[in-house]
Amino acid sequence: MAAAKRKRGPHRPVSPPPGRTPLESQASISSRSRDLPRIFLVPLVLTLGLLLLSLAPRVADNARLTFAFLAAVAGLLVWQGVLFARLSRAGASRGFRIVLRPQHYLQALVQLTVFAVWGWYWRPVYDFAGLLLAQLIFAYAFDMLLAWSRGECYVLGFGPFPIIFSTNLFLWFTDDWFYLQFLMVGAGFLGKAFVQWRREGRRTHVFNPSAFSLGLFSLVLIATGTSDLTWGQDIATTLTFVPAIYLLLFALGLAVMYFFRVTLVSGFAAVALFGLSALYGAATGVPYFIDSEIPAAVFLGLHLLVTDPSTSPRTRTGKAIFGALYGVGVFGLFWFLEAAGAPTFYDKLLCVPLLNLSVPLIDRFVRSLQSRPRIRRLGEVPWATANLAHMAVWIVFFAAMTATGRTDGIHRGDRLPFWQEACEEGRAGACERLVQIEASYCADNAGWACNELGAHYVEGRIVEPDAALALGFFARACEAQFQAGCVNLLDPSVVSRAPPRPLDLRLLLRQGGLNLVDMPERDLLERACGHGWAFACERLGADVR
Amino acid sequence: MRLLAVFAIAGLIFAGVWLDYRSQMAQVGSGGRGALSTETSPVASTDPASELSGYRADLGHLPDAPLLGFVEIPEGPFLMGSDPGIDTLAYDVERWSAGQPQGTVDVPAFFISRNEVTVAQFGAFVRATGHAADPQALAGPPLHPASFVSWPDALAYCRWLEGLLRQSPATPPELRALFADGWHVTLPTEAQWEKAARGDDGRIFPWGNQLRRDRANFATGTPAPVGELACPECPYGLSDMSGNVWEWTRSPWQPYPYDEADDREGLEGDALWVMRGGSFSDPVRNVRAAIRGAAGPDVRREFIGFRVVITRD
Repeated sequence: MAAAKRKRGPHRPVSPPPGRTPLESQASISSRSRDLPRIFLVPLVLTLGLLLLSLAPRVADNARLTFAFLAAVAGLLVWQGVLFARLSRAGASRGFRIVLRPQHYLQALVQLTVFAVWGWYWRPVYDFAGLLLAQLIFAYAFDMLLAWSRGECYVLGFGPFPIIFSTNLFLWFTDDWFYLQFLMVGAGFLGKAFVQWRREGRRTHVFNPSAFSLGLFSLVLIATGTSDLTWGQDIATTLTFVPAIYLLLFALGLAVMYFFRVTLVSGFAAVALFGLSALYGAATGVPYFIDSEIPAAVFLGLHLLVTDPSTSPRTRTGKAIFGALYGVGVFGLFWFLEAAGAPTFYDKLLCVPLLNLSVPLIDRFVRSLQSRPRIRRLGEVPWATANLAHMAVWIVFFAAMTATGRTDGIHRGDRLPFWQEACEEGRAGACERLVQIEASYCADNAGWACNELGAHYVEGRIVEPDAALALGFFARACEAQFQAGCVNLLDPSVVSRAPPRPLDLRLLLRQGGLNLVDMPERDLLERACGHGWAFACERLGADVR
Repeated sequence: MRLLAVFAIAGLIFAGVWLDYRSQMAQVGSGGRGALSTETSPVASTDPASELSGYRADLGHLPDAPLLGFVEIPEGPFLMGSDPGIDTLAYDVERWSAGQPQGTVDVPAFFISRNEVTVAQFGAFVRATGHAADPQALAGPPLHPASFVSWPDALAYCRWLEGLLRQSPATPPELRALFADGWHVTLPTEAQWEKAARGDDGRIFPWGNQLRRDRANFATGTPAPVGELACPECPYGLSDMSGNVWEWTRSPWQPYPYDEADDREGLEGDALWVMRGGSFSDPVRNVRAAIRGAAGPDVRREFIGFRVVITRD
């Protein structure tokens, strides 16, 4: 058995990486069996780095987080110990091949920029930096040991960066459940290593690694109703704290599009989503998504999650279909998740693995189209030229979206009075959305919103009456010092309402992001008036705009 | 075979995580990050106050006394507010109006608990309902006044107690008759509280006009068991109307003259609710029968508790 292993030699033949560009560089460091201890120092140092990070105050102060780190360290140590012993016995060797691929480091740079700007406006991102670093260290050690366990030479580069960053741009587990984050990272690499198929003559992974683990864990979280173990909802909503987030993502997306020719994927995803949202809006009079035609987190997803070149079609038509299907998938999943009562932030995550699976079908479909001369001629235009043309169209489309107020700026769905009015007029789904938005603000301790919810549950006009729930919301309104909530709590048989206080307006007018804590009261009222709050306009002595 | 092993390992991991999740959830009770959940108190499944003698464990540890410790306050007018000519320690907010130091208020009959609500009583409510209470509210000795209780906490207790008394066959017939007639358990109004404390003769302290340290727990820095200081001179024999803990009322903070009819007015400002009676940490000036304090409804402090009334309005 050992002899057989020895016969296989130190490395399996590795096929050349696809789409290699002039930016890519390679170097190899292979070991002889007597160098094995030196080579194994690398995962050992990484593991010790993880151990060192467990001494950071955030980790050390939380027993469960410390456990997560120690469990990860122990797992890695056992793994490398067993592997080292096995390879030593067999006289086998392992090594590295250094490959710096631009699709890794450029994508990582873009993702890092998003983290940097996002964290500037939402502090928990910066606070999370240590845990992000821990995941990176864990990912390198895990990926390395996995490759060596499979008898492969480890391709050392920036590969784990986009996987970890991409995962963390969409889902983190809370500190108490952080061991699941390590499991999620592990699942991503296992999926990449083991779930493979033969495509265009070579073996390649089926799923985008981060999307695979995100999809897998999202399914379990939805099925078990345990989304509250994650920061998923906060992540999905706090991206909009960044002023001009759409413009930022658009600009960063252009870099990705230019280098990796994924304009058709992102562009068609955006067009499909925008088109469907606009159609829904025109048909029902209310926006499909609350905060924009394309929510910021989805906009991020269509630039940085679905655009992995190795798990998407290679042809232009295929990329366009792939992107359009992502848009349709997000649209459908949002509806499905909302109808199922599940958190809707999973919409952008769940369809990626399904799309990855559909790539051979798309390829086959595209091949059948290529028998048509017009389509074939389109395919003859050089990639670089075609991509620039696609980017130009995308820039025009984004400019049109921005000019019509569909990206940054006030969106009609951000205005609570819009939903109140739409609900009064009986527009489709408006009352459900109103309740949903008020529940979200109530959870942020906006007393006004809690009192409105309590009133709905007493009145029973737009929700089923529920006395206990009403009292709960009135109590919460009262605890938020909203006096109408207190008098309603005392006697819910007569419902009292009052307009939002400045404290409430600072939450209600954030429009998904802005920090209004220090905004002067007059400016706040002007902003409220602009959002359609009649009381604010009256106080300002102005007409409702 | 390899696939089977992968599924087995994944299954084991999933089962382990699920067990961990269940045990964590069991520890935090019904808590979570839902819209209505707040931090919950770790509630023992057994009642630590079950052996209190003189109290009814089956009735939420209310006193084993006639009417379960509720005292009837007869219908009639009383003098509300302070006359600085008589009470030199009076605050301005106790003055009835610019031209009148005190006013007369007619209060319909009601029943008020002789003592402040105890830790044992509040604990029975929390155990029965899983109400999200401050853990400190349950940390004191069973017969000490319940404190660290917010205004909504106090109202929630009242609702629960009313339900208990309505349903229990052990409730005295007199009280059952009241409930059948539409009476209910709640917090006292400011007027009910003041009348119950000083009667109708305008006295400064519940026991009279002279300060007595054997009648009230004030300026001591620590709470005392409810009813430890009896007050035979008090008009209705209630304990701790002066000192021990401030007591929440169901009156919003508004300037005098007192008028219950305007309680639902002025809803646009921040909420403040009146509390009465002063506490163990207050000086003599704050334990007079006419003292008026106020706090935000979310405030939970060691020196704020409550007592309940059974009333028709």
